[in-house]
Amino acid sequence: MKTNKILNTSNDLRWQIGEGFHDKLTEGIYSDAATIAQNSVQKKGDEKRFRFDRSLDKIVTSKIWGFPIMILILSVVLWLTIIGANYPSGLLADLLIGTVYPWLKSIGESLGFSWWLSGFLFDGVYLALAWVIAVMLPPMAIFFPLFTLLEDFGYLPRVAFNLDHLLKKSGAHGKQALTMSMGFGCNAAGVIATRIIDSPRERLIAIITNNFSLCNGRWPTQILIASIFIGALVPENFAGAVSTLAVISIALLGIFFTFMVSLFLSKTMLKGEVSSFTLELPPYRPPRFWKTIYTSLIDRTLIVLWRACVFAAPAGAVIWLISNIAIGDSNIANWLIVHLDGFGLLLGLNGVILLAYIVAIPANEIVIPTILMLTVMTASITGVGSGDGVMFELESVSATGDILKAGGWTLLTAINLMLFSLLHNPCSTTIYTIYKETKSIKWTTVASILPIILGFIVCFIVAQVWRIMV
Amino acid sequence: MQKVTSSACEGCDLNKASNLKKLGINIDNNNYVVALAGNPNTGKSTVFNALTGLKQHTGNWPGKTVTRAEGGYSYNDKKYKLVDLPGTYSLLSTSQDEEVARNFILFGKPDVTIIVVDASRLERNLNLVLQILEITDKAVLCLNLMDEAKRLQIDIDDRTLARDLGIPVVPTSARSKEGIPELLQTVHQVATGEIKCKPHRIKNIPKNINNAIEKLRLEIETEYPNVPNSRWIALRLLDGDERIIEAVKTGEFITE
Amino acid sequence: MTNPVTSLVIFGIVVFLLFLIFYPKNGIYWRVKRSLEDDTKTLIEDILKKLYHAEDNGNNLNSNDIINSLNSNPKKVLETIAEMKNKELISFENGDIRLNELGMDYALRIIRVHRLWEKYLSEKTGFDKKDWHEIAEKMEHQIDSNQAKELAIDLGNPRFDPHGDPIPTETGEIEPINGKPLPAFSEGTIGRIIHIEDEPEIIYKQILAEDLHIGSHVHIIENNKKRIIFHSEGEEFILAPIVANNLTISELQKEDISEEAIFRLSNLKENEQAKIIGISRECRGETRRRLLDLGFVINTKIEVDLISPMRNPRAYLVRDTSIAIRNEQAKFILIEKIKNHAKSNI
Repeated sequence: MKTNKILNTSNDLRWQIGEGFHDKLTEGIYSDAATIAQNSVQKKGDEKRFRFDRSLDKIVTSKIWGFPIMILILSVVLWLTIIGANYPSGLLADLLIGTVYPWLKSIGESLGFSWWLSGFLFDGVYLALAWVIAVMLPPMAIFFPLFTLLEDFGYLPRVAFNLDHLLKKSGAHGKQALTMSMGFGCNAAGVIATRIIDSPRERLIAIITNNFSLCNGRWPTQILIASIFIGALVPENFAGAVSTLAVISIALLGIFFTFMVSLFLSKTMLKGEVSSFTLELPPYRPPRFWKTIYTSLIDRTLIVLWRACVFAAPAGAVIWLISNIAIGDSNIANWLIVHLDGFGLLLGLNGVILLAYIVAIPANEIVIPTILMLTVMTASITGVGSGDGVMFELESVSATGDILKAGGWTLLTAINLMLFSLLHNPCSTTIYTIYKETKSIKWTTVASILPIILGFIVCFIVAQVWRIMV
Repeated sequence: MQKVTSSACEGCDLNKASNLKKLGINIDNNNYVVALAGNPNTGKSTVFNALTGLKQHTGNWPGKTVTRAEGGYSYNDKKYKLVDLPGTYSLLSTSQDEEVARNFILFGKPDVTIIVVDASRLERNLNLVLQILEITDKAVLCLNLMDEAKRLQIDIDDRTLARDLGIPVVPTSARSKEGIPELLQTVHQVATGEIKCKPHRIKNIPKNINNAIEKLRLEIETEYPNVPNSRWIALRLLDGDERIIEAVKTGEFITE
Repeated sequence: MTNPVTSLVIFGIVVFLLFLIFYPKNGIYWRVKRSLEDDTKTLIEDILKKLYHAEDNGNNLNSNDIINSLNSNPKKVLETIAEMKNKELISFENGDIRLNELGMDYALRIIRVHRLWEKYLSEKTGFDKKDWHEIAEKMEHQIDSNQAKELAIDLGNPRFDPHGDPIPTETGEIEPINGKPLPAFSEGTIGRIIHIEDEPEIIYKQILAEDLHIGSHVHIIENNKKRIIFHSEGEEFILAPIVANNLTISELQKEDISEEAIFRLSNLKENEQAKIIGISRECRGETRRRLLDLGFVINTKIEVDLISPMRNPRAYLVRDTSIAIRNEQAKFILIEKIKNHAKSNI
């Protein structure tokens, strides 16, 4: 019981000292620090900070230039990512799906694999992995290094500084601007990036709402559907501009939901969490270009890609299995689609889309190939695709459109798919990351369920209003 | 691998190993464990990379490294395990990263703690230094970013500083690897006991508080004569630090 | 497929029902929950508190006053009062109800828990000031004296709650507040706010809107039946007497303080230099610690470094580092401006 004696003494002493212990202690330490520093530090220069730093800071946080510079930089980064990733993505797809895939199949054949083993391994697991790598690797390998360069230079804290006032209105932290931007690259990385937010409440807000940033895995879906269905509404000359505008609107809608949900969370569930705001604006430091690129590839890109692969492989297996295991005179996938169809149609979607989102939880990248495969399978279209359970994509946008239309897609289906692609549960990589970061089942559940409920409601209302109006 | 314990000290090493294991550090075949602490934005990760040759990402952000990074190096035939702690302004608050850093220095008992400070902003950085010196007396001050300080025309008399703080001070510019060999050597000397530190203890504390600290410290020392940082524990108890109260209840900090 | 209008209507009805059931505070769910919880213990404790506060202010209450001041079924209240008399918590004196010694002890215990919980909310959570009272009203019925003791130890045995009310000790001792309401002082008085009353809510909200801080120095400029004007921390405040009445002031000796020099950091202009003289008591918990750790301590020189495009937050140069804080936090940091003519030319 000697420990109790110590604790009792300390409680008595705390009562005697009263409040302000922490204040007095900190003051004491700082005044010691001042004495020691005075003894050994001699400042010859009068300049408090670098001239360059100050003048640059005045510009990037100025009333006139602060916001335009920010928007410009973010747009350039996103543009470089989306445009720049196209070519390497195509190359990777050609290599992994066009060359390696048939080669693997033929090896399987020569080794005498039975059809189900070869199907399970190559059509299921391998294809899912190949797709995730082809679609995910190039944009992340461009986005993360660019972002990291900005980070190392010291520009990002200034962005948080500029935007804090706006974010504060919805109960969030200025640094959430950065975790949101990071989310445009990858939500899992965005969630990890919330570590920079040192206030517990604001950090949880940033984690839960990160999914509303349209990630790299979803941009291609948005662009494809917008160009098939929305671009087609206007004369060909404007098609590109209009479909781009549609995609940007979806991204902006995501930002709108981020604000709304942040506000809702800070007023309800997160009311009692501790909150505090401070932000150091460090001096600018020139980043070391190659080193930054190297480390950001290792640190961010590969780690995220690895996690995605771990989750994508079993998903590929599941997709293949449900399309090839028969129940009655149909297979599991068909059976599920029939049962999901009613609910899907109520939401202005269909059973195929819902099933695709269920099995494609691991990665948004495989949603479109899965939808195409399932559509071809259920609508019994012949001549395209490579069989049940084998995901595919088509070179031609119009051919893809033909398949979808044959599967019963309308403009409403397209719009609601775009909305649902924004508003649904995070991919399993992100869910896992959220759990790792929060260590809380409660918040992981909230972060996973909340967006999909929102998605159901929004799609439902849009569908009903659409049907009344059209 | 297991040898028969021949002396009392072998036992204490084992005890420490198990304590470190609890904190997630496996000391394997390393002779010494070195912790790397410091404020955010002091180039701490750059020092880490310079020492270990690893390529850890060094963001220009406060609180970049929330989890601990680990690496190793050899010097003079001794193996060192280097643990990079999260950058913090202080060890007195209760935020997650401060707790990680504080717990490691207090419970992990590293053989040496390297404290990285920004030479151009020494006074502010000393806040953390003085707190760490209350916990451990085996520390080396790494006066980093000397190049930046030079550009700002700030002169630092590192001998006076070393005398005032009671620990060795090594000026470095980790980016250009300047001063890193000296740092390695100094860490080695502190680890082997060649250099004995006599760290500065916080002085400017109001009398009534100091009396309370002394009273509690004596009580802790009579109950647990071997606790090296009784004053720090007294400080934390008076501040109502729940983690330390818990540690006193379980006797966790007594691992001699 | 279902008719879209029908499904929209069904959806609307479901949303409306959910809204009715779960609407904060007045939703059916909360009401049912409350009526199930609304047991005699809570009622006894509420009545005891009413009686304590009335006696503290020198007023007497009879059964009708109590029925009128509580939100419960009158019959239940009368039954409860009878039960309290049986338990010798209270006695009747010319129709007025008086607290017995037993009742007084009980009331102080409840008040202790209430104030401790408010202290806890202010130090360890992020709940807003205006919510503290309501949450503490619930918790005071749920915490027993052992838990209260542990809570007190965790909080370092505080003597005052965040409004400046003394917290009764375990044995029921309570420190008096050494001050008078603001309107009781004459013009020209310099004093310190030592207590801010949080009931009734309407007046408390006005005080919160004025952003007055406990511990602040005030200098009374004008005091009449219509309004009270005073200066505090570089700002001027105008209050109606009924609002000012809920602020308790203790007078300061003239030589103690040069009040005019104190400003809030949020008032510091560009190109001005200042010295920190402290952090307001209104700034608590993690936020306070963080500010201290970052070097916002007494005698530190400070100046504005950068202003964000929307004028909030602002970054300050503290000990050679640029640190941004929001204006809402800067209000808590008290400064003394340094007159420096050479500096103002730059």
